[in-house]
Amino acid sequence: MKILVPVKIVLESEDIQIKGDRSLDFSKAKPKLSDYDCNALEIAAQIGDNGVYALSVGGEALKDSKVKKNILSRGVDELFLTCDSAYEDLDAYQTAQALAKLVEEAGEYDLIILGDGSADRMAQQVDVQLAYALNLPIVTAVSHIEVEGSKLKLTRILEDSIQNIEVETPAIISIVPDIAEPRIAGMKDILAAGKKPMHEVTTELEATQSAETVSNLAPEQVQRQQNIKDASDESIAEFAQALKQAANL
Amino acid sequence: MDFAKTDEQELLIESIEEFCSRYFNEDLIESMYENGSVTDEILKEYLEAGFGLMGIPEEYGGIPCDKVTLGILTEEFAHHAGCVTSFLNNTLAMSDMIEFGSEKQIEFCMNAYMESGKPIFSLGFSEPAAGSDNQAMTSVTKKQADGTYILNGQKTWVTQGELLPYVLVVAKDEDPSRENKSMSLWLIDKNTKGVSTAPLHKIGQQIMPFCEMYFDDVVLTEDMRVGEKGVGFVNLMKNFEMERCLIVAQCLGCAQAALEDAAQYATMRETFGRPIANFQLIQEKLTDMEIALENTRNLLYKTLWKMDQGESVRLDSALVKRYGPKACYEVASEALQIFGGLGFTTEKRVGRIWKDLRGHMIAGGTDEIMVYIAGRQITKKYQA
Repeated sequence: MKILVPVKIVLESEDIQIKGDRSLDFSKAKPKLSDYDCNALEIAAQIGDNGVYALSVGGEALKDSKVKKNILSRGVDELFLTCDSAYEDLDAYQTAQALAKLVEEAGEYDLIILGDGSADRMAQQVDVQLAYALNLPIVTAVSHIEVEGSKLKLTRILEDSIQNIEVETPAIISIVPDIAEPRIAGMKDILAAGKKPMHEVTTELEATQSAETVSNLAPEQVQRQQNIKDASDESIAEFAQALKQAANL
Repeated sequence: MDFAKTDEQELLIESIEEFCSRYFNEDLIESMYENGSVTDEILKEYLEAGFGLMGIPEEYGGIPCDKVTLGILTEEFAHHAGCVTSFLNNTLAMSDMIEFGSEKQIEFCMNAYMESGKPIFSLGFSEPAAGSDNQAMTSVTKKQADGTYILNGQKTWVTQGELLPYVLVVAKDEDPSRENKSMSLWLIDKNTKGVSTAPLHKIGQQIMPFCEMYFDDVVLTEDMRVGEKGVGFVNLMKNFEMERCLIVAQCLGCAQAALEDAAQYATMRETFGRPIANFQLIQEKLTDMEIALENTRNLLYKTLWKMDQGESVRLDSALVKRYGPKACYEVASEALQIFGGLGFTTEKRVGRIWKDLRGHMIAGGTDEIMVYIAGRQITKKYQA
């Protein structure tokens, strides 16, 4: 089974700083592979006996050689990229359109696997938009995959039920993170990564902003510290109330 | 001059961080110290992730890499695990065997290593009256009329000696006197008649205990000899320089963990209405700790880099072993001091790190012996 895995490069959230006016400073944040995509790459590496190709669309962050080697050190055979500063902040629809071009470049395939969502926005839209662009069936929230010839037997976890679904390939699925624990890339995988094929693909797609960002601010800091210093009934009731509030009870 | 790490080294560090967060936690570390060994599961996973194969030649299934990267591997494991481990000893033992063993011996040892992640043998070099003064060694083999040899002697500080089934012993050939410089290496099954051990109880580093080992009329055969006859110790000395560097790398990682703990604690712990990190006496400690670690790091990686360039590091390796463990021990001690009373309890790992690092001022050659080695090299270097 040949599998394609679209992945997103995001900024390390721990490095994003909140300024005094609650605006966000991304200048020190390094690019990294979105966490949930690591699970998608892992399950693809486990069942992709005929090759695993990673695809990514994005801006300058995709030029980072370490990020590219990181993707290729996770059981991936080849990497297809569309990298353009105009694609820095594509919406889900445009991302899916650009990914559809990369899918064409990657040739024949049996299955496309996506992560649960991106670690930065978690919009969970690119999977369905890509299925629409490629006119393929899609199954989301997949927690287990069994391959039977050209058919996939999938388990789908929903809030109140578990569904068992069969689908013919080619198809698109998006997975829940529990499906597979990402491998820890060893030195052999890391050294091999730099020697694997990386294809840069340009597209004619024009990046347009479908939405305007009005403001992007961190939530206001809520002062949660309280000092309750005596053991009177009132203070104890106040203490119990504070605990309940902190625990959202 | 370039201090940047390669992409591969940075990815290696990320993998080590992930490995340690997945497999190490303080409760487990505590139980490994109580049980006197890293768990079999961690050793196996360490090998399977390829860390345990780094530095071993490709023809034996290893992943060749430069000495700087081996230093990073050792430092970062100690840093992210927050404790010493036997990984470094295991790598060094396998390097000795691969360098000096016969094809048959290497195959035997590599098969066991690939199975469990543990070397099949410990290293028996030091004696109660012969540490760095190796000429004082008295363990001796004597050839018998039937072609076998009889070994008599005692070894000490044999790390993991009771845990591992074989021991690689260095002993003098025929004559135990100081003047005799002919020594050989022998790979001995601990079940051989006449081999016995007695535990020694460490005050730190209990995760890799050592023991005494006694050899009373132990019969050896020629196929147990590792490497050429007569050059056993000369062979081993070649690897001592790398051992010194990796001990320092382990010190550095542990001390880095202690510094990070102390710096974070200093920003949280308040006295007189403000975090202690705002007091200049604490700031001075943190500053000197950071300087000590940066100095150690620079000295260590320059030495490893010189080894990679094929340059002699006889002086450098002694300097870094003289400077690094003491500097790192002092960093751990100051970290403990910043924690105050809490640092002197078992609630915080800083006390364990402090005890462990004290041992590294002795292991692999004491600070004082390093002066003896370095001093001679320095006078040679500046000879008119």
